[in-house]
Amino acid sequence: MAKPKSDALRGTLALLILQTLAQAGKLHGYAITRHIHRASAELLRVEEGSLYPALHRMEQDGWVKADWGVTERNREARFYAITASGRRQLVQEQESWGRLFDGVQRVLRYA
Amino acid sequence: MGWMHRTWNVLRPERLSRDLDRELSAHIAECADELMAGGLTEAEAAREARRRFGNPGRQKERTRDADVFGWLESIVGDVRYAMRSLVSAPVFALVAIFSLGLGIGANTAIFSLINAVMLRSLPVSAPEELVQVTMGESDGSWFTNPIWEELRDRQEAFSGVFSYARTEFNLADGGEARRTNGYWVSGGFFSTLGLRPRMGRLLTTADDVRGCAAIAVVSASFWDGELGGRPALEGTGILLNGTRFDVVGVVDPSFTGVDVGQAVHIYAPLCTRELVDGPGTLDARSNWYLRIIGRPRAGIASEQVRARLAALAPAVFGATIPPDFDAQTQNEYASNTLSIEPAEHGLSSVREQYGAALEVLLGVVGVVLLIACANVANLLLARATTRRHELAIRLAIGAGRMRVVRQMVTESLVLALFGAALGVFVARWGSSGLVRLLDGQEGTVWLDLSLDARILAFTSAVAVVCGLLFGLVPAWRATRVAPQSAMQSGGRAIAQGSARFTVGKALVIGQVSLSFALIVAAGLLLGTFRNVVTVDSGFVAEGVLLVRTDLHRTGLVEEGRALAKQAILARLRATPGVRSASASHLTPVSGHAWNGRILVEGYTPQSMPDALVFYNAVSDDFLKTMGTRLVAGRDFQRIDRLGAPRVALINQTMAHKFFGTASPIGRVFTEDGPGGAGPAHTIIGIVEDTKYSTLREDPLPIAYLPIAQEGWTGREVNYAIRTDADPAALEAAVSREVGAIHPAITIVFTPFDRQVASSLSRERLLAMLAGFFGALALTLSMIGLYGTMSYAVARRRVEIGVRLALGAAPGSIVQMVVREAGWLIVIGLVLGVGVAVAGTRSLEAFLFGVTPTDPRTIAVCGAFLVLAALAAAALPAWRASRSDPLTALRES
Repeated sequence: MAKPKSDALRGTLALLILQTLAQAGKLHGYAITRHIHRASAELLRVEEGSLYPALHRMEQDGWVKADWGVTERNREARFYAITASGRRQLVQEQESWGRLFDGVQRVLRYA
Repeated sequence: MGWMHRTWNVLRPERLSRDLDRELSAHIAECADELMAGGLTEAEAAREARRRFGNPGRQKERTRDADVFGWLESIVGDVRYAMRSLVSAPVFALVAIFSLGLGIGANTAIFSLINAVMLRSLPVSAPEELVQVTMGESDGSWFTNPIWEELRDRQEAFSGVFSYARTEFNLADGGEARRTNGYWVSGGFFSTLGLRPRMGRLLTTADDVRGCAAIAVVSASFWDGELGGRPALEGTGILLNGTRFDVVGVVDPSFTGVDVGQAVHIYAPLCTRELVDGPGTLDARSNWYLRIIGRPRAGIASEQVRARLAALAPAVFGATIPPDFDAQTQNEYASNTLSIEPAEHGLSSVREQYGAALEVLLGVVGVVLLIACANVANLLLARATTRRHELAIRLAIGAGRMRVVRQMVTESLVLALFGAALGVFVARWGSSGLVRLLDGQEGTVWLDLSLDARILAFTSAVAVVCGLLFGLVPAWRATRVAPQSAMQSGGRAIAQGSARFTVGKALVIGQVSLSFALIVAAGLLLGTFRNVVTVDSGFVAEGVLLVRTDLHRTGLVEEGRALAKQAILARLRATPGVRSASASHLTPVSGHAWNGRILVEGYTPQSMPDALVFYNAVSDDFLKTMGTRLVAGRDFQRIDRLGAPRVALINQTMAHKFFGTASPIGRVFTEDGPGGAGPAHTIIGIVEDTKYSTLREDPLPIAYLPIAQEGWTGREVNYAIRTDADPAALEAAVSREVGAIHPAITIVFTPFDRQVASSLSRERLLAMLAGFFGALALTLSMIGLYGTMSYAVARRRVEIGVRLALGAAPGSIVQMVVREAGWLIVIGLVLGVGVAVAGTRSLEAFLFGVTPTDPRTIAVCGAFLVLAALAAAALPAWRASRSDPLTALRES
């Protein structure tokens, strides 16, 4: 179902975006959604409506920086790259995701 | 950095919008391309991409929210909207801004003066550390030079200490004097204050030793003005009271002295007094003229400083006892102690004289501003009704009430800020005018009125408070409109009986009561001024020229001086145009005084001050020249010269006090002083009472001694010349006559009536300003009343049209409207009496000859207000009665 998936996804959207940019370098918005879709073996699809608000918020917070560039198809688009403080934030997000995951697993296994 | 971008984006919305469009459409296009690569047609791919993306408008908005500060955006939007709506109603905006500008400007002007006189710290380093040395419990702050030298040499509590005295230096070389303000300063003056020179060097302790060279430091404006702004110091010399001084430095322009309200131009070391005023000046133990200021050492609390000074006091005073004092006075002298007072804001006679008056004026202009705000509020109320439709629609489509109120309050704040900007200009012009008023014609008061942070903060705060004051209530009421009823166009209300008591009427009542209180205050102050000016001073000031001469530079002494002065008097009497001429030590109402204790047989004084009389030494014909009446006995004559039996004239108060109802002629009084009993004087006549120091004083006992017996041998003497023509016309002739006796005699001319007038400068200031602001307040209130009545009439025009059509006499319409206004006036007046009685109590110290609740003043002011108000209300009433009933009915 779309709704619960996007709810869970919104909380981790920053984490996924940062990880994507850390690994894949400079990407534009659509490329980021493509990467996440592929890397998750098509299990995750980013809600397009929440992508850009999240990207712009992260840009204002200084975790990513953006420049205008040209895509493979010769189209003007805005390319995002991770910053140093973004990398630090990524580590934090990874840790809190780990804690969340652990906690949920324990609850599920609780007999 | 994010907040900077967010703020910046608020200010360039189009660019942000374009960028977002480009970014989002690029996303959709990429998606479409990929779908096409997967096999869809172009059209299908585009559709699917768009479908996946969702509503672009909404996504753009959500993205945009991350890129701006929402609250800043709505504020900027409100301000833009407010500006547009003000531009669309230019008359209203101009009237409101203009009245606010005047009101806020007046407040800022008075506050600038208060800031300069009372709040500013001295422009020296760490002024809050400075303290002034005072003399124990008596709080006297003047010291003699011997005391200063003892203190300077013995003290350890201060890291820097100096003494100074204000004086006037005569720059001229004989003839009419050119005076400029200056200080005698000790060597530590500049270093203790932490001042730096603009050019050359400043004085140091090495420059202030006995036998020093004649050097001086001047102010920047003196250097640029009097000395022509020359580029180099070498060889620059000035004449100070006839002695040549070398200028060694120029002070930084930001420092103009330690006394607020006076600009000082010349700083001369104390040791040079020996050169200028003669040997022995520095050792005079009875000459109290120096102030002492010090900076305590770091880490010493003020209590400790006080304790250390108190411990030093016995040694300091013990070493400087004046030898001519009798034993008892010597003991009193030796038991004096020392203490300290803060000196951060400088010392100031201007502050003492005018501080309280300025605070009163601040209250007055505050009230005027309130009245102006009430007018603007009324204007806004009226305007709100014309915007009823717009507001109703906005409320109907979902704007929260607070949001609409916020937008309207923003409009008021924008108005207030424009008014404040105008007010700052008004204030600059107004405050320098006020300083000129403080000053009379002398040009001696100088205040630093430059705009500083405190003034700007005050103006902004006043603007914001005003904006909220006059904006909130109209905004609140305007949004109370039920949307549905407002959208019906017009609304045929035939009888407007509802809302008897609207906010507008309450405002008018408030204005009437406040302006009544102000005109009562103005009336009291004007009455005070009139009373002081018309008081029986005991002399006739018009037509008299006062001539102060100084014979110091002539080189004459003793006998030579006496001869010269008598020769001058004889020549003056022979000058054409002179009705009579006389000489005296002091002139009335000059700010100088000379007093002493006396002994009279049969009179026992209750206390020391009880035996005090005030002296003047005068020539014959002094009474005739001054226009003072001789009540009994005879005036001084030639036989009362040096060596002859000592005589005196006394005034009625002195006669009554010391001799009761018996005739004092032929009786004797003896001078009494710290050195024991002095000469005895036989009373030869009684003079009518005159004012001595100020026009407001109670009668003082005055004794006149013959100048021939008292001393023709002093440095200075005042001549008074009575003429039928303009006194100023005699100046050239007097200069010639005095110059013929000796060219090095310096002369200062003062018309006597000008001397009297400048002693009244505070009363004049208060009367003029209170009168001006009272009239302004009344005018503003009458405008408010006129506006409210016009509006009330306009709302009832259909009703009035019907009445006229049915045959009512025009007079009855007028009566109806005036009756409605009359209620407002009466209630306002009653409230106003209460406010006046409460408020004028604070004026008590300034009044003379009237009480704060003087019934006559209140009655006159009340009648004046009622007349003005009826006139203001009658005009719209008269216009209403002349309206054509047909047009009124057709229009609605």
